[in-house]
Amino acid sequence: MTTDVATIQVHQELDVRGLNCPMPLVKARQAILKLDVGQVLKVISTDRGSVKDFQGWAKAANNVALLAQSEEAAPDGKTLYLHYVQRTK
Amino acid sequence: MSIALPAADVVASQASGRSEIFVHELYAALQQPSNLLLLDVRNEDEFQMWRIETRHTPETLHLPYFFFLEEEEKAIAQVRARATNGRPIVVVCAKGGASDYVAERLREAGLSAINLAGGMVEWGDFYDVRPVMEQPDYRIYQVDRVARGCVSWVFVSRGEAAIVDPLRYGERYLKLLEEQGAQLKLLLDTHAHADHISSGPDLAELTGAAYYLHPYDAIHPFDMLPARMKYAMLHDGQRFTLGALQVEVIHTPGHTLGQVNFLVTAPDGEAFCCTGDNLFIESFGRPDLGGQGERWAPVVYDTIFGVVKRRVPDHAWILPGHYASPAEANADGLYMKRLEDLWRDNRSLHFTEKERFVEFVLSHLPYMPPQYVEIKRVNIGLSNPSLDEADELELGKNICALSG
Repeated sequence: MTTDVATIQVHQELDVRGLNCPMPLVKARQAILKLDVGQVLKVISTDRGSVKDFQGWAKAANNVALLAQSEEAAPDGKTLYLHYVQRTK
Repeated sequence: MSIALPAADVVASQASGRSEIFVHELYAALQQPSNLLLLDVRNEDEFQMWRIETRHTPETLHLPYFFFLEEEEKAIAQVRARATNGRPIVVVCAKGGASDYVAERLREAGLSAINLAGGMVEWGDFYDVRPVMEQPDYRIYQVDRVARGCVSWVFVSRGEAAIVDPLRYGERYLKLLEEQGAQLKLLLDTHAHADHISSGPDLAELTGAAYYLHPYDAIHPFDMLPARMKYAMLHDGQRFTLGALQVEVIHTPGHTLGQVNFLVTAPDGEAFCCTGDNLFIESFGRPDLGGQGERWAPVVYDTIFGVVKRRVPDHAWILPGHYASPAEANADGLYMKRLEDLWRDNRSLHFTEKERFVEFVLSHLPYMPPQYVEIKRVNIGLSNPSLDEADELELGKNICALSG
């Protein structure tokens, strides 16, 4: 995961703020299946546990690659966890 | 045999329409051998770091929950292969969300699966309280934070109470003391802990009881900064009276420079020595958490084979601050052993030469979790973490003993 977030072309965003495990992953999985191969989904989560979960998912699934993960502060001070997932198959 | 018991409990939970059980129920079920299957659906690294362990740890299957998303049928088949004949399955994850999802899938597939409510977070916060001694004149309780292998000790005598090495959730002790009708008098830390957050300073503020620590441990060993919390100073030879009990402070440096043992003598002749991170049932406290392993290892030798041997009576019950495995408990689930038996059974103590001992210690130092430096800051008031940060600092099992 050395990809610079700024250079990633995002095709769709998925906002799962406020949802806890396992929902961010359940929804991301549904969303990625609606993308074409090669397209990228950006997931916006407030669940800290999603960071490790997306890493594990990318390893387990045979149709996705995790291009990058990053954190940023939301206006309300909460941390947002961003995941950039590409459909590969 | 009691093999069917806990399984029956879990099945009964389900029969009554419950989809989840609580950590205290699981803990109770795992006090005897059982045919439960634990299904842990966390990530690989979380599972490797810590998992549910008790005196009778059941068979555990690790299968991260995203397998149930990606290849549901295959994942369920893997579980089914291990759970024939209605064998009860308890599903566990970090916080109880993903495991709830998985348990539901398994139930839909006809398996007897139930979710552990709150997951490893709740398991990590569970304290087991058991009586050590209940005499007319005094009572002693073991308060054990099971998931971390941290043990604290509560002494009650004639309406007065002392807590040795109070763990993070101070209110649990207050509840116990309320049941005992006892007033908190002494909050005693054997040393400034690196592996867990002490509730001593908070409880002192809340109750007005005095919080005691040895002043050597009120200096952060890496920051070289003095404590910023209120404490009263312990010193070698200091004595306290707690109802019918006499408490003597014995300075036992090595694990930290300010480590002390509390030798408690009862009117019936019994003696109890709270050793903190000095002596454990197996092994003893490592000398390197202050960054000075080579210098402090010989100090551990002088403490154990000098101070302890000379000043702690052989018949005294050793009450340690940690264990590495639930197997160290006696048949009653208590982490206590008479000193004379410890000399015989604790193989880390079978040394007669200081040089050999130091060699042994320095070649058996486990990994030092980086958060241990920060936890020590918290414990002497140099840092004030949020609840979430505190949870994260305390994640996993303690690593305060030597390895191997």
